[in-house]
Formats: sequence, structure tokens, C-alpha cells
Amino acid sequence: MLDTFEILSTSGVVLWSRTYVPVHSYVINSLIREVLIEERTNKVAYGDGTTKPTYRKDGYIMKWNLAKDFGLIFVAVYQSLVHLTWIDKLIDNVSALFTGLYGEQLKGETSNAKFPFDPYFDREMQRVEASNDTSTSSAFEVTSNTEFTPPSSSGTDHGADEPPPMPGLRKATAPQKPIYNPDTSTDATPVPTPDTSRPSTPASRILTGKTRPGSKPSRRDRKVKAAENSAPASSGDETSARKGKAAGKQKKNRVWNEFGADEEDKSINLDYSTVSANDPADFELPDAINPESWGRTTGKGQFVLKDLDEEMDEIIASANAKKESSTAAGGIVGSSLGAIGGLFRNVVGGKTLTKEDLEKPLKGMEDHLLKKNVAREAAVRLCDSVERDLIGLKTNSFTTIESTLRTAMERALTKILTPTSSLDLLREISTVTSTNRPYVLSIVGVNGVGKSTNLSKIAFFLLQNHHRVLIAAADTFRSGAVEQLRVHVRNLKELSKREGGEVDIFEKGYGKDAANIAADAVTFAKENKYDVVLIDTAGRRHNDARLMSSLEKFAKLAKPDKILMVGEALVGSDAVAQARNFNNSFGAGRGLDGFVISKCDTVGDMVGTLVSMVHATGIPVVFLGVGQHYADLRGLNVGSVCRLLMS
Amino acid sequence: MAWHDADSWLTLAFAPHPGTLALALLVVIALPILLHAYIYRRRAPDSFPTFLLVGPSGAGKTSLLTLLSHGAPSATHTSSTPTAASLTLPITTTPASSRYRSNNDPSADRARKFRLLDTPGHGKLRHYALSSLTKTSPGGALKGIIFVLDAAALGEDAGAAETGEYLHDVLLLLQKRHTGNKTSKGPAAIPVLVAANKMDLFTALPQSLVKLRLEKAVEEVRKTRGRALKDSGIELSAGDGEEEEREGLADGYEGTFGFKMLEDSDIEVKVAGGSVKGDKGEGADVQEWWGWVAEQL
Ligand SMILES: Nc1nc2c(ncn2[C@@H]2O[C@H](COP(=O)(O)OP(=O)(O)OP(=O)(O)O)[C@@H](O)[C@H]2O)c(=O)[nH]1
Ligand SMILES: [Mg+2]
Repeated sequence: MLDTFEILSTSGVVLWSRTYVPVHSYVINSLIREVLIEERTNKVAYGDGTTKPTYRKDGYIMKWNLAKDFGLIFVAVYQSLVHLTWIDKLIDNVSALFTGLYGEQLKGETSNAKFPFDPYFDREMQRVEASNDTSTSSAFEVTSNTEFTPPSSSGTDHGADEPPPMPGLRKATAPQKPIYNPDTSTDATPVPTPDTSRPSTPASRILTGKTRPGSKPSRRDRKVKAAENSAPASSGDETSARKGKAAGKQKKNRVWNEFGADEEDKSINLDYSTVSANDPADFELPDAINPESWGRTTGKGQFVLKDLDEEMDEIIASANAKKESSTAAGGIVGSSLGAIGGLFRNVVGGKTLTKEDLEKPLKGMEDHLLKKNVAREAAVRLCDSVERDLIGLKTNSFTTIESTLRTAMERALTKILTPTSSLDLLREISTVTSTNRPYVLSIVGVNGVGKSTNLSKIAFFLLQNHHRVLIAAADTFRSGAVEQLRVHVRNLKELSKREGGEVDIFEKGYGKDAANIAADAVTFAKENKYDVVLIDTAGRRHNDARLMSSLEKFAKLAKPDKILMVGEALVGSDAVAQARNFNNSFGAGRGLDGFVISKCDTVGDMVGTLVSMVHATGIPVVFLGVGQHYADLRGLNVGSVCRLLMS
Repeated sequence: MAWHDADSWLTLAFAPHPGTLALALLVVIALPILLHAYIYRRRAPDSFPTFLLVGPSGAGKTSLLTLLSHGAPSATHTSSTPTAASLTLPITTTPASSRYRSNNDPSADRARKFRLLDTPGHGKLRHYALSSLTKTSPGGALKGIIFVLDAAALGEDAGAAETGEYLHDVLLLLQKRHTGNKTSKGPAAIPVLVAANKMDLFTALPQSLVKLRLEKAVEEVRKTRGRALKDSGIELSAGDGEEEEREGLADGYEGTFGFKMLEDSDIEVKVAGGSVKGDKGEGADVQEWWGWVAEQL
């Protein structure tokens, strides 16, 4: 069951919506935040590429489509317990319809516009559910007494997982199969496959089996109802004027007409007695076959419906055609006029970008990013997302493709690097210490990246702000680690004497369990009124499963408020794997909170590692290490990093 | 050859030479067209005064925009792009500039028009708002900033922190705009309206407290910002070593922050409560905000 379908603009205004079951607005908000703005790819299930990606939130599944050129988002929300296969089709068709119908209006100010989309949506809904006719029983029963409810269906590949039909029914249904089930007939499914929506209880099965042939009266009922629904869409005059056209065109649009053409009469003559069949597939077919005769019997109302139908088909078809032609356009541009025009527009602007236009500049952009030490995976994904943003867009006047691409890439980089919420460490510390417990910050990372050094830099920064800091030596593995920290602490004590801060070391020697030491340090700090505990951990390879697994226990026992990972600016393509593995090593519900990128002074403008790490995880860069001194720690300036990357 | 020679260019220019005639004709015909095009272009983006809607996500900016542009707030979700709407002041409020005009004056209608620019409040997308603050907007001068906040969220620490931070950033930018200006006159002041939205909710902070709470929140940000680490700008840009002086909000003042401290920098802050969505179906309460907008026009 579909819960809600919404059409909203990227500026946040809901232009049209259909609600079956109210869904709290935070559900769609979190889709927009997490997927569309923050681009957290790990929250999205991409499936096998043939279906749309899905996003789950609190028991709901969302599928969506973006119409970039119109700035629209189409979202369908349904319970994650049900399985709707026709959702993708519905979203695509509704997107095509809506943009086709209101394209002009959407170019202007949308906040004032009204979109009488209801009849179109209802009709489209009926059509997609009809074409996917393997419905489950419950949904089917609902269909029979409500005007309009989408049945949930179990799969597009008909009959694969269905039980064999009841013996008594086989005779009645089998010959008619081609009529109801155009899809299966082209798929060459064996004939006995039960067709359309078959209720699971034997009783109702028999009922539908019998009534199906005599579906004519009910069909008419439904149509009248649907017509009432769609009445506001077109006036009476209009419809009668279009009558002829509607009749003529209808045949063209339905390729599968022939299948049922001669069986049509039979199905009608079989049984007129029962009135309750509401087979959605069945109901659509005949007016496609023989519109004139149906028009005579049912009268005016029906033509309104057909008119709508035809109009919708046209819009969807033209949308599809446009899509195809735009992908094919690259090949046709060979004609000299097109080439010259394209060249001209390339310089002057106002050119609509296609995949082919972007291919070469994008390749150049990718190489450029790779040269800046961005990991290949991140560079490729960045270029892909920029390409997705740009295809179909018109370049501004007097801008070339290259410069358009540059600004788009710069925007993408800014968006990635800008943290979602503020990274004010001092603020967080004061919030935590006001609750009478120390703020716990721990540092992880692979060997030799400068964990201890950066820890001391952070300690120095905190000391300057008059905090009492306890440094816990939880690296009980590498010999000399504790001594190294001791030296740092001595230096810091010396340096901070005048400032008024206070720093001590908490050590338990080597060989003990790091997690326990960390936990002890926190307790000790609490008893002795320290403001901040900084925990140094042992360096470990991110692909060493044994060592990485101990991090989970560490996170559980020490309960750090913040876990920062130190990464080298020099690291290159390994950055992505490092960031990802560390982020996933703390158990469910806990990840990294930020990165410290060390040795930034040694790489010049090749600061790509920042991008790789942030891109892989969506976790912000908190500090940059820029030198050998205690004071050489910096916050991130997004603007300057982007400039460096694009230079 | 000298200019007075028989076949010099000057002689030629005054002679009934066909080329000269053609050139003159061309100039005569083309000039008005070009002039028209030029002037028309310049005026085309209707230079209505612009107001900028800023504020944290979920405060009700987009709702306010839809309420003002078509009478009732429509359902909204998190915005990811900015949007603009052209609005007209209601008849009941008179813009300050046409206080002495007759109500029937046709030009009064134009004076009522303005543009409202909605921006996304999500942390990653604030650059839309902040950049349109610094650069002069293409269509018309920026006449004011409406900082929308959720008065219910302001009652909680997390909400207050986020709101304070955003407001701090906006005010700091305005202050920098003032101090960074070299000319004696300074740029036109941009006043700020803090619109405390969602006053209809019973969890909302009462109007009398909103201002105090905000000032406290901004003060907290101001305190930690002053002591925070420098950012990476200089080190990374391989460089010309010169350290930029860091400017803090209301630097010259001791004691806790108050909006009054900003008057030196020509920033006027007004706090007014209201709600986009009415109390149990009653109409929205935006009169005070309208009044402020009218004052700025
Ligand atoms: N109770 C109440 N709710 C309101 C009021 N104004 C807005 N809301 C609700 O607040 C929610 C967020 O409103 P939006 O206008 O989308 O917020 P926004 O400021 O545009 O948020 P972003 O686009 O994310 O920056 C919506 O669900 C509104 O219905 C109000 O005055 N009272
Ligand atoms: Mg919004």
C-alpha cells in the first residue's frame, strides 16, 4: 500500500500530494537531508541497477525521482512491510506527466501556482496497477469496495512464484489470458499460468473466476466514477470536439490490441449476471479495442476519461522520446549546421548540456583531481555526481562548458567539505563539563600518522583555554609509546605554566588491555575533576581484523564523546579504505566523529586526501596539522581548500 | 598627408561619399536601438527591494514565504535550493516611503512591491544565504534580513545553540561588511528582523525571553569563537605569511553580548514574535513582521 506520494520543489514547497495514510513530514525531510543534501551513500540501497534506489526510515521505504531541470522531487512513501513493484513505473510516469503538463508553469514562480493533478494521478495509478496484475488478495478485496486503492503486487515476473490455479478455474481463465495479461503473453509464459489478481481464498477465487467474463457493467460503473473524478480537467465542449481524435489515436498507443481483439465479444457474452468483478487489467482493455462502441453505450462521461488517457499517453510518450533523442543527439550533431551551432553556443553559452559534451571535460576534471591526490574512487564519484547535476542544464550566457563544469565541481566540493553541524570543540566541552563529568576524546589511526603528536597539539590548544587535561596512554602495544607521551606531557606542562592550564598523564605500563585503561582513566578523571580526557590508542592497520575488532570494546568501555581519526595528507588512494574501515569498527551505532589530517604542510596544494576521506564517510575534517610545533593545529577553511583543489 | 589635404580622411568624412553616407545612416538607425536595448536590459531585472529570509532549518522560512505569497502556508519540507517570490504589501500597511501619498496614487502600488528570497537553512547549504549577503544581489538592493527562528526550539539547548550560531555568523558578516568598507559613507545599513516563529505552540519561549535567550546564545558562540583555533587559510595557500587579524563580533565591548553593541556597526536588530501557522485554525500572526517590512520600504 502506498502511503503518500508527494511532488515537491527543491526549494521545499509541496506542489501536489496524495495521502492515503498520513506520514509525518520528518520522514521525507530526512530523505532530503541525508540523501539529497548530505549525500550519505551508505544510507541508500541501490539494488541491482534496474530498480530505483531505496531509502529506509523508521519503517518506511521511500523511492524518489529528481527532475533537475524543473527543480522537482517526486517521492513515494510506503510501509517497508509491503512490496510494491510498480512504484518505479508510477514515479517515472508521474514525473513525465507532471513535467509535461505543467512544464511552462514550473519555469516561473511556483509558489503561487495550482496544479490540478488529481485525475491524472488517479488514472496513472490505475494503469500501473493494471499492468502489474499479480496482486495479493488483501489489496484486491479492498479494490472492490473503495473507489481507488492501489493493490500491492508481488512481482513483475508473472506466475513465477504463484501456486497452480484451481482445477475448476483453469478452463474459464486460461483462454482469456491474452486479454488481461498482455505482459505475460509476450513473455511466453505457459498458458496455465494463472493470470490477473487472484484472491487467495478459494471462495473469492471462484467468484472472480466466474465474474471476470461479465465485467462489462462494473467496468462501466468504474468508468463513470473515474470520469466524475476527472471532470474538472476538461470541459464538455472540449471533450466532444476531441472525440474523433481520441478514437483514432487510441489504437496506435496500445500495441497489444490484436491479442484480445476477437476474444472481446466472447468475454462479454459469457456472463452478464454478476456485477462485482473489478479486475483492473481487464477493465482497461476493451475501450482500447473498440472505443466507438463503448462510447455509444456509456455516453459522454467516458470520453472525458479516454481523453485524459490519451493525453497522458502522449505526454509520457513524448517525454520518453525526448529522453531518447537527447541521448542520441550526440551522434546526429555530425551535421555541419549542428556542429557550428554547438561550437558557437559553447562559446556564447545557452547550450543544453548532453553526456557527450561533458565527457571530455569531465575526464580532464577527473585527471585534475587525481593529480591533487584525490583517491580515484572519490574522484570518479564526484565527477559522476557533477555530471548528473549538469546533464540537461543550459549553460549561462558567455560561459563555456569547462567553466560551467568548474563552478559545479567547486560547488560539489564545498558541499562535501562543509560540515553539517558546527565543530566547536570548546563549546562541546563546556556543555559536557557542566554536567559534572569529563569530556572524553580519543584518537585512532594507522601506524605512524602522528596520533600522539596531534593529541598533544589538541592538548596544547585546550590548555591555552585553561582546561584541566588528562592524557591517557592506552597504547600498550608499541614499545616507547608511553615514554613518548611522557615527554609530551612534560613539555606541555612547561609551556602551559603561565597559561593556567593543567596537564597530567595516566599510565599503566605495557601489555594491559587498552579498553580497561581508558575506562579507568575516565573514572580517575571524574574523581579528580579533570575537564578533558584525551586517550591515545595504539596504531593499527585498518585491514588487520584482530586489532580493529578491539576498537569496539574500547568504544563501549571508554564511551568517548568524540573519536577522531588521524590520517596523513600524503596517503593517497588508501585514504578511502582507511576512513571506511575505522568508521565501521566501533560497532553498531557508533562511528568516527571527525578527521584530523596531519602533515598538511608537506603536500603543497595536493590536499585531495581531505576530500577522499570525507567523501568516503560523510564525516567532517575537524583539524589540520600544519607543522612540527604544538601550535601548528588549524581548523578547516573550506573555501581555501576548494581553491587549492581547483587551482 | 595633412588633414587639410583634398583626399585626407577629414575631407572625405565631410564629402558626399557613399561610404560616409552609409556609415552615417547606420549610426542613425542603430543608435536608438542599441540605446534602447541597453537601457531596457539594465532595467529589466525589476529592481524591487529585496529581503532575505535566513534561519536554521525547520524554522519556517519556506512556510512564511508561501504564506505571504498566497495567503495560506502550504506544506513544506527541507529546502535544498533558494527561491524567490515577488510580493506586494497588503493595503492595510503603508510603506514608509509613501506615507504621504494618497491611497489612490497609482505609483503607490509599485512602492508596495518587493522580493523575498528564501534560503535553505541546512548546515551544508548556508553559503547560499551568506553569499547573497556579501555580494550585491542582481535584482534590487538588499533592504533587510529576516532571521526566522523556531521559538519552541529556542527553549532547548541544542536548538538555541544552533540558532545562536547562525545568527552570530550573519551578524558577523554584516559587521565585517561595515568595517571592511573603505569609503567614508559606508554601505547602506541592512537592518535585521529576528522573527520568532511558532509562537502558537505552547512550548514556545515567550516573546519577552526570546531576545535574552538569543543574546545569551550569541554570547556563547562569540566567547568560544574568539578562542578557537585559527583556520587553515594562510598555511595552505602557500604563503605570503601575513596573518590576517581575526575579527570577532562586537570586539570592542566588554561584558555579555547585547544587540545594542552592534549599533556602532549600523546593524539594527529588532525581535518580534509571530506565527506562520495559526492557533487552532485561526489565521496566522505576521502583522508585526509586515509592519517591519513596511518600515524598510
Ligand atoms: N506550529 C507551527 N508550525 C510551523 C509554523 N511555521 C512553520 N511551521 C512548521 O515548521 C516546519 C518547517 O517549516 P519550513 O518552512 O519548511 O522550514 P524552513 O525554515 O524553510 O526550513 P529549511 O528549508 O530546512 O531551511 C513545517 O512543518 C511547518 O509546518 C508556525 O508558525 N507554527
Ligand atoms: Mg525551507
